[in-house]
Amino acid sequence: MALIDKVLPGYVATLWCQDDATPTPLTDAQLSTWASQVETIIGTSAGGTGTAGIQVPVEAIPSFGADDASAAYSVAGARTGAKITTQNQVTSLTITAAWNPADTAQLLIRDDGYSGTIIRTYVIAVYDGTDTVAYAFNARVGGLQWDMSPSAEGKFIFTIHPVGGNSYGWSNN
Amino acid sequence: MTQQNPVDYATAIQYQLADICDPYPTYANFNRNYATESTFVTWQLRNIHQPVYTGQTQNNKGIDTPVFQISLFSQSFNDALNLSNTVLQELHGYSGQFGGESGFFIAKADVVWLYNSYDNELGLNQIFLDCTIYVPT
Repeated sequence: MALIDKVLPGYVATLWCQDDATPTPLTDAQLSTWASQVETIIGTSAGGTGTAGIQVPVEAIPSFGADDASAAYSVAGARTGAKITTQNQVTSLTITAAWNPADTAQLLIRDDGYSGTIIRTYVIAVYDGTDTVAYAFNARVGGLQWDMSPSAEGKFIFTIHPVGGNSYGWSNN
Repeated sequence: MTQQNPVDYATAIQYQLADICDPYPTYANFNRNYATESTFVTWQLRNIHQPVYTGQTQNNKGIDTPVFQISLFSQSFNDALNLSNTVLQELHGYSGQFGGESGFFIAKADVVWLYNSYDNELGLNQIFLDCTIYVPT
């Protein structure tokens, strides 16, 4: 299928994760493979098959990608210094969700955070009604917080920390 | 992508509202329908605007967010309220194909139930709703 060729609003992005209590995360190669891999984690509402995944109900998808990092050095005799881009880490995502204590995905993430060792494949899917572009990565969950401020709905805040330097991949249907 | 065509918008809105409000008739504007119809729906489109990001490149544009007002008329206040609920349930939060096969994709429809009123002269209850649709183009 063709890639999406239009400007999309930010909220067409959705977050999905594997739905097993003890999941087998995708390999580095599979993270970039749509057929039978990434598509099974994305639900039908975003153009996947949803056979092995569940939607995480987030308020907004934070910026994702790689952290910025570079080594700066100066060159004797040169008018300016120079920078070399270093191998950057995959960005951690701090996510806020409206807290629903019975939501299956939130319970999974709560258990992952309690465990601290479970590595799960997450997928951010962008869908225009026909085609899907997916960013998949493997991550652990940390920093669980519940914010029950009485001035708003209860919030569940957690951080997804990607694993390893290459553990993300792009794919499309 | 090119700017969406107001003709396409109008066609799609008419199709979608007629589909939602069936069996009550849907018209593009108020006319003498009240003489023959006890309950009916009209709509009016406004605010077609796609933000332009640059002054140099004409096709560098963002999301179009046109608004159409939905006016529900009925001799029975109960029918009008029920019809407004039908519109809310079907349209608010809707994402997907808008206007049938010949329509277009909308990322979101956002409905605001504005207010109700009564026209003594026409003998019709009125309920007004605004619907903003978000169209990636």
